[in-house]
Amino acid sequence: MAESTMRYEEGGNIHLDFHGATNTTIDFIVERFGVAAMDEIFRKMGRDVYASIRNDLIAGDTRQLVRHWKHFFDREGADYDIAIGDDEIVLTVRRCTAWHHVKGLVGHVSPHFCDQTSRTNEAMAEGSPFAIDTEITGEGSCRQIIRRRA
Amino acid sequence: MIPSDHFTRFYNEVFKFLESQGEDALEAYWLAISKNQERHILDLIETQGLEGMHAYWTHIKIEENCDMDLDLDADRLELRMNVCPSLSKVMDNDAEPMGRYCDHCAGWIGPIMDKTGYHMVYDVIDRQKPQCVLRIYRDPERARAAEKDAKLLMGWPDHKVG
Repeated sequence: MAESTMRYEEGGNIHLDFHGATNTTIDFIVERFGVAAMDEIFRKMGRDVYASIRNDLIAGDTRQLVRHWKHFFDREGADYDIAIGDDEIVLTVRRCTAWHHVKGLVGHVSPHFCDQTSRTNEAMAEGSPFAIDTEITGEGSCRQIIRRRA
Repeated sequence: MIPSDHFTRFYNEVFKFLESQGEDALEAYWLAISKNQERHILDLIETQGLEGMHAYWTHIKIEENCDMDLDLDADRLELRMNVCPSLSKVMDNDAEPMGRYCDHCAGWIGPIMDKTGYHMVYDVIDRQKPQCVLRIYRDPERARAAEKDAKLLMGWPDHKVG
């Protein structure tokens, strides 16, 4: 698969404690405003912040999303692999850095922590020929699958 | 996973939502983040004072790729942010920046300073520029005098300005 452009390609040092602030934020929003409000904020991440990835998906091009996955899971030191097949692309995350960092930091990971992945994926794929399904397979592990919609 | 690199753009979306719910919602959130941050800085302040703050922000300077200068003397710490990576990312964003994005910094640091007996003077200078000057004093009179030189003085919950 050819290289594509990537909208946000951060380098330098990495500050994993931001995942702790994300966990605090999810608990705060869900407790005061409900899950639907939190979901809508994640959807805005997928639609607006990741507009470049979404526009590529709408155009039928998955490369930026795959590159985004590789770049940021490598930066965060996750245990993962990506299988690119004819009919689907499967990201298997065996150890999610974000989930495990929060677990180590505060001992409590919000039950809605992985919604950031599920809802953002759905929003990025909205209006495109693809669906992105997120299956939580355990604590700090998941599979994310890009498939063409039927 | 929203990468830790993209937390500030997530923060920006959260601020926009909370602003739509009212000022009380924003302030309650900053206080929640402030409580969260206590685990990283409170013990350092309580055991090492200004030197502990200097140690904390020296770590942040490296880990968050900040272009900033820290200056510590016996009675105050000055943090001069030349290029703030947080606001820079929010402005380099396909989503709209929240107009008061800078307010969150005073919003979480201020309550910790109040709790530990230090006096903060936060000059944001201009909310559209990724620069600011934060000064923290032992002496409240020196802090009040320094407030007069600020271009855009920032307040926080329980410490309103202007």
